[in-house]
Amino acid sequence: MDLQNQQRIKDAAEKFGAENVVVILGSSDAEGAEIYAETVSNGDPTYAGPLAGVSLGLPVYHIFDGDIRNECDPAAWEEQISMMEMVLDPDALAAAVKGIRDQFSKHSV
Amino acid sequence: MGKLTGKKLLLLGERDGVPGPAMEACLKASGASIEFSVTECFV
Repeated sequence: MDLQNQQRIKDAAEKFGAENVVVILGSSDAEGAEIYAETVSNGDPTYAGPLAGVSLGLPVYHIFDGDIRNECDPAAWEEQISMMEMVLDPDALAAAVKGIRDQFSKHSV
Repeated sequence: MGKLTGKKLLLLGERDGVPGPAMEACLKASGASIEFSVTECFV
């Protein structure tokens, strides 16, 4: 993950408290989604950025996770996301992020 | 009241997946506030 974005995530978690923050990913592949999810919940696995060794425990979801999808505006979803939903593998992406969330996140929605 | 009501959302979009602005459009009425929204790309 971009080092600047790692810093922004860290700052937001400190400012608002981990229990009030939710990270939502739009990753296109399951492996990338897992790395992002791990970075915001358990720390940067590449030890390159501000989140190296920082276990924030943030709740993290893929946008295709049912818990998040159900909160989305249906018209906006149709217009903005439905095409990518057909191209990508939504269930695999949601499951990949859930796997990491179940291990490392200390909060959920 | 939705599950996300009162939450602070950090949206990490991807250019080849779902970009930040698309997630923003879908979630702006969810009762949560969007603290930041970015779109990363891998080339």
